[in-house]
Amino acid sequence: MSDQLLSVSGLSAGTEDKPILHDINLTVGAGETHVLMGPNGAGKSTLGHVIMGDPIYQVTSGSIVFGGQDLTDKSPDKRSLAGIFLSYQAPVEVPGVPLYSFLRTICQMRPELKTTARKFRQRVGEIADQLDINQNFLTRELNVGFSGGEKKKIEMLQLLLLRPKLAILDETDSGLDVDALSIVSRGIEAYRKECDGALLMITHNTRILERLTVDRTHVMVHGSLVADGPASLIDDIDAHGFARFENALEQKEQA
Amino acid sequence: MANQIIEAHQEQTSTISRVNVPPAQTWNYLRINDLSFEVPTPHFVGDVYARLPRMFEGVECGIGDEAATWIVRASGDARFVEVKAGEQREQPIYVDIDASATEVRDTGVLVRTGASATIVTCAHGCEGDTSASLLRVVAERDARVTIIELVACGSGQQHLDAIGIDAAEGARIDMRQYALGGSRVALGLACSLAGTGARFALDSRYLASGRDVLDVNHVVRQRGRVTRSDIVTTGILADAARKTMRETIDLVHGAKGAEGSEIETVLVTGDEVVNKTLPVILCDEEDVAGNHGASIGAISPEQLGFLSSRGLSDDVAERLFARALFDDALIHADVAEARQAVLARATEVLGIDVARDIAEVLDIDFEEASC
Ligand SMILES: Nc1ncnc2c1ncn2[C@@H]1O[C@H](COP(=O)(O)OP(=O)(O)OP(=O)(O)O)[C@@H](O)[C@H]1O
Ligand SMILES: [Mg+2]
Repeated sequence: MSDQLLSVSGLSAGTEDKPILHDINLTVGAGETHVLMGPNGAGKSTLGHVIMGDPIYQVTSGSIVFGGQDLTDKSPDKRSLAGIFLSYQAPVEVPGVPLYSFLRTICQMRPELKTTARKFRQRVGEIADQLDINQNFLTRELNVGFSGGEKKKIEMLQLLLLRPKLAILDETDSGLDVDALSIVSRGIEAYRKECDGALLMITHNTRILERLTVDRTHVMVHGSLVADGPASLIDDIDAHGFARFENALEQKEQA
Repeated sequence: MANQIIEAHQEQTSTISRVNVPPAQTWNYLRINDLSFEVPTPHFVGDVYARLPRMFEGVECGIGDEAATWIVRASGDARFVEVKAGEQREQPIYVDIDASATEVRDTGVLVRTGASATIVTCAHGCEGDTSASLLRVVAERDARVTIIELVACGSGQQHLDAIGIDAAEGARIDMRQYALGGSRVALGLACSLAGTGARFALDSRYLASGRDVLDVNHVVRQRGRVTRSDIVTTGILADAARKTMRETIDLVHGAKGAEGSEIETVLVTGDEVVNKTLPVILCDEEDVAGNHGASIGAISPEQLGFLSSRGLSDDVAERLFARALFDDALIHADVAEARQAVLARATEVLGIDVARDIAEVLDIDFEEASC
């Protein structure tokens, strides 16, 4: 298993008073694209946040190993610097911090991205163009007053700027209009190609996957991973929903 | 004769008290209603100075009558700018207060019907003892006024900065206030939304460190119907800084449909910080909406969590907030002199490397300067 980029083993986690994830096992190899599906409230976002190390969740058992390093007890900033990126389903507004200041600071934290102010400006400008983001966003406060779609694009901008080894995209496609969706899809494709990054895509829609070659699909129900399979599993779910997985889990629990 | 010369050169001081008295004085027991300043006594040598038109006399400016009167006298001279009806003035009206030269400025700006203008005030410098500025703005019907107030004094400076605004029907005032430094600073601000539909939006930002004293008084009087005010304050308090913030939204009788809100977020990084905030909504009208919240303490855990997920430890996040304050001031203060003053202060607070980086990322010339 040491050749895996991410290995989640026997992971259970939840909030202080509520278990959410149960015995999760998941591996993602370098450069692979995985899809995580499941009904609302299944625990998909929670898994993303737990992999990122969000302190609002507690890990009660199991481990998260990334690039051969056990990160289970590491803070999110260390995981981020190690190469994990989580695109938030609902990006947080940070008043008082212009986007420019934020982007500069997150880049300067990483030896591989440290560069002159001029090159930084240039790079940010290129990515903004690529994502059709108006440059005047750069001087606005981080996510403050941005529309849902704009916030998602700013998350993509950070993804392309930071070039992580693993990107967990939590419903990056939701709330995007058709044009924005195709821009973001192209951004994800660019990330795959330029950075050879691995992807864990959490989504309810297959459109965002059209440009990608999916290696593995996972299904989560009630906090458990109940199935995984090839890309074709996505079409199956699209056609038949999650009922059979839910039923199977119920029977298993009753047994 | 020799005696007299010596006396004339001796700096006489007097005390101005009741600086920044809030409209509702219910906190006397906390002893935070007002403060006083030792200031040089203005010399009177019989000159007749330029005075502002009478219309400015009634403009409330939040800092208190004693302080305002002192500023008018000590300035010795007044500057009056009129923006003609319908004029869209591109060039900002700039008020430069060189604190090192203990400058005191008295400025009146009249923005006529339908006109628009930007006013930038910037107090800066390292030495000297007391500097001050009083800016009064009369915005006529449907005028649009942007005000950027910068106080970028060095650690040894005492400064008084007052702004008073009268907004007529449909006038819109967008203001940004940056308190970036000074050892003893009073910021007074009053905005009267007199006309129907007048609006006031204030973004107030501050950073106080060392043993700095920052004293702020924000007063909004909503007299007109369906007027709006939004005050958003964010600040950083480090070391043993002492800050007092009084925020009053006064929804005056007759201001039907008026809405006001005030919110403050403070990041406290010093163990000896003294942080006082007094949000008040006075209400003498039933058909209004006023909200206020004061969240005091750290930035929200969600915000820190988000920043952390992008690789920023809490320490780095705190430094980002400090840097961001200067970035934000530079982004909005589009006047070369003011920008250099902000960068000089950034150099003092954040160090020269960060200050230079800020300038380069924003593509602003950087002239090395510090206190
Ligand atoms: N911080 C929290 N506090 C309390 N409950 C939480 C918290 N985070 C998640 N939950 C609960 O855990 C369950 C899983 O939530 P999660 O957001 O992970 O679902 P999801 O699979 O991402 O759903 P969706 O498809 O709607 O985004 C839900 O019942 C949710 O209410
Ligand atoms: Mg979710």
